[in-house]
Amino acid sequence: MVAPPDNDVIWARSLQHSHNGSPALGGVSLGIREGEILSVTGPRGSGKTTLLHCLSGQLVPEQGEVWFNSVPVHTMGPRLRERLRRDKFGWIAPEPQLVPELNTWENTALPLLLRGASHREAKKAAMEWLERLDIGMCAKKRPHTLQQSQRQRISVARALAAGPSVIFADEPTATLHRTDRTHVLRTLTSAARSHGITVVLATHDAEIASLADRVVPLLDGRRVSTVALPAEADPEGRAACSLSV
Amino acid sequence: MLALRLARGSHPLALMRRLLVAAASAGVGFLLLCALGYAAGHPAHSAGSVLRLLWCFVPLAATVQFAVAVARTDPSTRPRSGLSAVGLGPVRLSVLAAVSTAVSCTLGSAVALLFFLHLRGDLPGLPFDGAAADLLGADAPLPAAAVLLLLALVPVAAATASAMALRRSPVRASSEADDTGELVPSEEIPAPAAPPSGLPWGVALTAAGLAVEAYASRGGAGSPFPLPGKLDSTPAWVLVGWTLTAIGLATAGPGLTHLCGRLLQMARPGAVRLLAGRVLMDEARRIGRPLGIVCAVLSGVVAAFALYGTGARPFGPLTALGAVLVIGCTTATLLTSALEARQARAETARALLRLGAPASALRAATALRAAALLLFFAPLTWVIAELAALPLTP
Repeated sequence: MVAPPDNDVIWARSLQHSHNGSPALGGVSLGIREGEILSVTGPRGSGKTTLLHCLSGQLVPEQGEVWFNSVPVHTMGPRLRERLRRDKFGWIAPEPQLVPELNTWENTALPLLLRGASHREAKKAAMEWLERLDIGMCAKKRPHTLQQSQRQRISVARALAAGPSVIFADEPTATLHRTDRTHVLRTLTSAARSHGITVVLATHDAEIASLADRVVPLLDGRRVSTVALPAEADPEGRAACSLSV
Repeated sequence: MLALRLARGSHPLALMRRLLVAAASAGVGFLLLCALGYAAGHPAHSAGSVLRLLWCFVPLAATVQFAVAVARTDPSTRPRSGLSAVGLGPVRLSVLAAVSTAVSCTLGSAVALLFFLHLRGDLPGLPFDGAAADLLGADAPLPAAAVLLLLALVPVAAATASAMALRRSPVRASSEADDTGELVPSEEIPAPAAPPSGLPWGVALTAAGLAVEAYASRGGAGSPFPLPGKLDSTPAWVLVGWTLTAIGLATAGPGLTHLCGRLLQMARPGAVRLLAGRVLMDEARRIGRPLGIVCAVLSGVVAAFALYGTGARPFGPLTALGAVLVIGCTTATLLTSALEARQARAETARALLRLGAPASALRAATALRAAALLLFFAPLTWVIAELAALPLTP
């Protein structure tokens, strides 16, 4: 086992994983430096979500290693990984995934409450982040009364309010329109930069990826230098591949 | 056929629930056949036979309620993309639910018929053959049409009720003019049900029921509506009062559950108390009604036991079977409704786990909910039972 480099907050080596036999990751290695915004790009089905699940400890890869701050994540038990996720990581999903019974500020404060923070300080932190993301006026509303972009901003606020060291954002703007998309992403990246939070952003959109410090393109579960596919196969190759049905 | 195929591939626990429905239906079918046997054996006591038949409707109602609750939780009859893709909409799905309910109830009725004939001694060659021949009126022939009608009662009632219950739910779950049921796109968070409003009515009905009971018991001695078996000194007005109390409790159940949840999440809650209380407030409609019914049944049992339980042989075997059916079905309905609430919240629970919420916290929230309901409803049941028994005790 090789010790990871010291300056990387997350370091992964030759991750391999398959879902029920269908391959998802085939030997991906990467290092993420502290405070950087890293974007994982690639088309649908290229293994972005699986990679984020492996890095954040939601999945244990079949082969390969994941280290967080020089601590091996791939050998941890489920309880320790759960605790690591709660204390150190934030997760933003394509859907807001809010708890429908709780109102906005309670949803935002939930990770802090789950850590055992007091009611008062959790509410204070949540309200602060809601104000910063321009949704302070709906702090008392329930999620079903809000628009999708507002809900997604609540989900961003929830990830930020807990003060994690790494935020994993899996297609955080997939269900939004373009204006809302820029707003959500800008708040996320500026907040992460000002607080020194590392962000791992999975997206299939090259425009979004341009906000990041560094881009890791994935294709069919492998790291590639570029995701640009050959525009047109040569006619001879097409003839060779044709099927008669 | 589709219902059977879906049932074949379903989870053992789902099959187990269906089997319980079949067992309850068998019990009710047996009680109905016993009433018929009594009627055939004692043509002179027609009033007594009608009374026996009427008493059978209490376990029948409990069984139908249980069958509907099971049909609601059955994974094979829920709107889902696999069946929606082949064109099975909410209407066809409710037909499917009705058919599967009818199948399990018919199975139960067939078992009841076999058992009844066996105990009467009509099916020779088995152990305990004709063990209860005189009790079941073996000497008189049974009219076939009556047997069929009585045995069809449970399947038809349960199938109709579950079809109606499942037909209504998609309209309530989604917005108007949107007929897709639970297949709403995942961005749509369904609006929570409005807080239940039946609490004042429920309290008023309960109080009225207790008052009627107390008033009726002053007159005392008349016994025009006896229970078969030994509970034969119950005046009709007392029963009316008790029925009013039961309806009142069932009406008040959702409101009381909502109140319980509200109390639970008050005053600077932590994560567990917050989740437990809010979920209880949102699930008040689903959990509250069966809980109120269980409360009513248990208070009735406690009151009856306090009044008649002291005798040497307080009730006969058929009364015992009926009581077991009613208690079992209402309790099972409550548990099934809790399961339905859990299924409805599975997606939220998964999101919480993804946030890193410890599974123990979710379990603690569930345990806290159960404990709060128990703490709230157990004394209530006891008080109602005491109040119901008070005017009747000499």
